[in-house]
Amino acid sequence: MSSMAETEKVKAGTTAIRRRRLPADWRAQVSIAVVLVTGALIMVIPFFWMIATSLSRKANSAMPRVPSLWPPDPSFFNYFVAAANLPIFTLYLNSLFIVGTTTIGYLLFSSIAGYAFAKGRFPGKTFLFIVFLATLFIPFETRMIPLYLFIRDMHLNNTYWALILPFLAGGFGTFLMRQTISTIPDELIDAARLDGASELRIFWSIVLPLCKPTLATLAIINVIWRWNDVLWPLLVTSSRDLYTVTQGLALAGKSSGVYVGVALATAVMAILPVIGAYLILQRYVIRSVVSSGVKG
Amino acid sequence: MRMEPGSTVSSAGAGSIHSRLSRAFRGSLVWYGFLAPPLFLIMVFVAYPTAIAFRDSVFTETPRGAEFVGLYHFGRLFSSGVFWGALGNTVLLGAAFLAITLPLATILATMLNRLRRGATPLKVIYFLPQLTSSVAVAIMFNYVFQPDWGLLNGTLRALGVEQLPLWLSDPRLSLGGSRAAVTLLAVWAGLGYFILIILAGLQSISGDLYDAAAIDGASPVQAWWHVTLPGLRPTFLFLLITGSIDALSRFGDLWTLGGPGGAPARSLQSVVMFMFQTGFESNDYALAAATAVVFFVIVLVITLIAFRGFLRNEFKALR
Repeated sequence: MSSMAETEKVKAGTTAIRRRRLPADWRAQVSIAVVLVTGALIMVIPFFWMIATSLSRKANSAMPRVPSLWPPDPSFFNYFVAAANLPIFTLYLNSLFIVGTTTIGYLLFSSIAGYAFAKGRFPGKTFLFIVFLATLFIPFETRMIPLYLFIRDMHLNNTYWALILPFLAGGFGTFLMRQTISTIPDELIDAARLDGASELRIFWSIVLPLCKPTLATLAIINVIWRWNDVLWPLLVTSSRDLYTVTQGLALAGKSSGVYVGVALATAVMAILPVIGAYLILQRYVIRSVVSSGVKG
Repeated sequence: MRMEPGSTVSSAGAGSIHSRLSRAFRGSLVWYGFLAPPLFLIMVFVAYPTAIAFRDSVFTETPRGAEFVGLYHFGRLFSSGVFWGALGNTVLLGAAFLAITLPLATILATMLNRLRRGATPLKVIYFLPQLTSSVAVAIMFNYVFQPDWGLLNGTLRALGVEQLPLWLSDPRLSLGGSRAAVTLLAVWAGLGYFILIILAGLQSISGDLYDAAAIDGASPVQAWWHVTLPGLRPTFLFLLITGSIDALSRFGDLWTLGGPGGAPARSLQSVVMFMFQTGFESNDYALAAATAVVFFVIVLVITLIAFRGFLRNEFKALR
């Protein structure tokens, strides 16, 4: 009893402290919060509406005149139909494989070229750096059609290679890695050289571990880029076995347009895991976007 | 580069220059080895196709082989009403997006910056649509904008609005038409990124400036006008440039909503969609290549304006 009374007293004490510490501009704080929460609701309500509609079987024949955030007839029917229409599991494996290989390759090639440009001494460095930097100025859309024709002539269309090879190396990653590696003191690298370490070993055991934050940034950005890309997969793959998630969604969304529930169930299946990963990694994702200025 | 005590002794001999050169070369070799794989990939998958795009824009394929035609395809392109329509759409949609998103994001970011609690979850929520693929967003908004029962019109009707816009079914240039709808979609999807970047810009403005403004007796609104907004100038410039380039390359959402033709009535066709349609539906690769070159020039001009200072610093650092 006495201990309970004591906790009550403590509680009362903390509320008193809290009340005393209420900021002087609490009115401003509340009105700001109201505006921001309203905005946040506008951002999430379409998602909730989409999920609610995808859980309603009736949505395929008659939608309610007044939008509802709760399905009138909750069922997973639309998800079974969507999964039967689209091999979503295969698409996930495809996307994971393509995003994984391109990201590993992109990180590796960016950092090794970045190391050469940051710490190497060799004739033609400036010229080669300009070549790498110039790729920053060539939008993908400019070379898209010749690249497609080239891939086709090499008989690489409808293979994983078509989705991986063009995205393994690029100016942006090289540039970002060069900037980061430049900040590593030369003394550290020279000391390793004096100890007889080869450049490859220095790169692997000294430079790369020091670049982890930039590598994480680059990885996150590349994953977002590759996962959401739809233009290129649409061009080079026409076989359902090779579709990425985004591509499958684009094509299924078109074909099941009149079946609202099914189309939205497909969309939910395609984005829910991405949103889940984002909510877990949000700190890193937001830091990457802010530090690089690239939104992925 | 191994430092061997023996080599210094031998270099005193007749082959000194030769061995020193070869050692220097061996020293460079490892760097060339590092650069070779990425350089090869860039040559094959970036430089070569870009060169071909430029080449294809001035040649015509005939049964007797390729024939140089100069600017013929550019003439065809510039006299095509469809191309100008697509370019006009792209510029209009981009300008409308920036004109709404930049001020809105600035206000919301200022508020987020002043909020003492709960700013992080709000940031996460505002950025959420950006993480969702433009295709999924387009599928969702196709139904949000449905005129009879869509989320938007259904809500408006419940609120008592009687004249409901047709949104995506109305190709006219109006505030309730297809272009307005895809602009709302873009603002919804892109707002979070703008907020994050502006927040970073706000946090880089020195607190001393606000203290000085307060000493001079400036109200919070005056401080915002005279300190915050000028301090955000570089941020605004960055967002305007990257936002313009993104707007020029807009494809995924418009393609999902309107197909390569940008239905209804080409009101949603962007430049990239025009290129896609010319190249892959009409198989007119030369006209598509000319479009690609024009697209390249527009983006290059914007980028060069943006990166003037950046490039200067880069080359200074290199030398």
